[in-house]
Amino acid sequence: MFKSAASVEKLANRLARLPGIGRKTANRLAFHILKLSQEEAYELSDIIREVKDKVGFCSICFNISESDPCQICASPSRQKSIICVVEETSDAAAIDKVEGFNGLFHILGGRLSPLDGIGPDDLKTRELLDRINSDVTEIIIATNPNVEGEATAIYLSRLLKPLGVKVTRIARGLPVGSDLEYADSVTLGRAIDGRQEF
Amino acid sequence: MHISSLTVTNFRNITTQRFEFLRGINILFGDNGSGKTNLLEAIFVLLLGRSHRGASDNYMVRSECDVYRIEGEIITDNKSIEVAVAYQRSERKKITIDKVTSRIQELYEIFCVVSAGPEDSAILSGAPSTRRGFVDIYLSQISRKYLDDLSNYQKVLSQKNAALKNEMDPGPFNALLVTYGCRIMSNRITFLDEVASLTREFYREISGGGNLNLTYQPSIGGLEEDRSPEGLQQRFERRLSDSRHREQVMHTSLVGPHRDDIHFEIEGLPARQHASQGEWRTGAIALKLAVYQILKEKRESEPILLLDEIFAELDEKRIHGLIDAFGGFGQLFLTTAVEPPSRMKENSRRFQIAGGAVEGIA
Repeated sequence: MFKSAASVEKLANRLARLPGIGRKTANRLAFHILKLSQEEAYELSDIIREVKDKVGFCSICFNISESDPCQICASPSRQKSIICVVEETSDAAAIDKVEGFNGLFHILGGRLSPLDGIGPDDLKTRELLDRINSDVTEIIIATNPNVEGEATAIYLSRLLKPLGVKVTRIARGLPVGSDLEYADSVTLGRAIDGRQEF
Repeated sequence: MHISSLTVTNFRNITTQRFEFLRGINILFGDNGSGKTNLLEAIFVLLLGRSHRGASDNYMVRSECDVYRIEGEIITDNKSIEVAVAYQRSERKKITIDKVTSRIQELYEIFCVVSAGPEDSAILSGAPSTRRGFVDIYLSQISRKYLDDLSNYQKVLSQKNAALKNEMDPGPFNALLVTYGCRIMSNRITFLDEVASLTREFYREISGGGNLNLTYQPSIGGLEEDRSPEGLQQRFERRLSDSRHREQVMHTSLVGPHRDDIHFEIEGLPARQHASQGEWRTGAIALKLAVYQILKEKRESEPILLLDEIFAELDEKRIHGLIDAFGGFGQLFLTTAVEPPSRMKENSRRFQIAGGAVEGIA
């Protein structure tokens, strides 16, 4: 279909490599880009360039950032005694919206998954241990509640506890605003297991 | 609970066929190779999303076809539920309940089915994996949590094995293995205790005074000493640390519920080595009767019962004993190549099967 324009085909092929984009969507996007004004198209390519040039990782928490240290690590109003450990940047972004949390983050950059060849050395664990000093009183482990996330949490707690720091794990249970009758039995079971006294 | 209608398409030797079933007894009558057992298999797949004889989906698609599809209407608690299971070669199986895409686990929560047939002898005579498969499929119908623990245990196990192969530290996965593994073992202990005592009774009844014993043998051992959750946990942890070196050398997990077994004894001798074909068959039927009884009680409704060629090796007296034992069953499907006993003909519908199709209904 792109026989007449090899460069459009090249663009579509590239777009199809992006996550969540299939062949059809890639073709649609390629044609859309083709229809853009020169100005708009150049702007898009400049933004991609800018992102690659400017955005890097914070050398303390490994969050994405345009500055080093990142805004969160550099902020004087943040509670420096609590570090919340997450798998990915997107997890930190979600937790940062939580009003009750004003601490710092540590982004591991993944989770333990030997099946994918990811071991402790592939995560920012050493860097997390280096951050533990007398100012840090609590580490919240907020990895995902699945097998790999739990294994990562266990691994981290074993490393951290001997250092004398308090290690906590986020709770599991029902989403707020949901109805009990629609909850799946596994989640409900977890909620019952993790019940708290009034 | 009963299946009121079923449509099977491109499954085994069935091209496409619709059935209207009776709430009582449905007799599938036909020669060997006519497709009677295939129909039972289709029913099992519809209810639990898998074959009762452990066949993989690729084998169940009719040859030279790409997709099988099984649809049925099931009445439970006076509600009608439409279920469809479809499988396309090299893709994931698609299950819908009332037209909503669903997970296989949901089938286990809604439906309940027990099958008994010639393949069951392997529970007594075959490999430990057959016995674990037997426990898992029936225990999962009683406890959704068990099914869930089992699937998590499998995930942890494959991660741990990958860790061992890549020479990484399996420690964190061991901790999870213990969590899920102990729950699995506790469930198996309770379930197999009940199964053992009922099977013993049924075996004595059907065999005319015979003696069958079964005992759960978890790979961590020591059940006779301590079967409390704490005891299991301690023993599991100890066995894991004892076998750490061996696991590292062999690059695989050596202890845990995935290595459990059940020991069968007939007349005081290990059934696998000493029992006859007939004893295996009778033992297997007693086992399924026990399971039927337990499921019926726990689920507070009669499971759908699939009986495959059970008349072939049992004499008339035992068959009557069997009918009495199952007494008060809900819906029954049975295949036979010989004339079924007259007692089975009341409240029954008979399907004459040939070449994967219905030739006549009586």
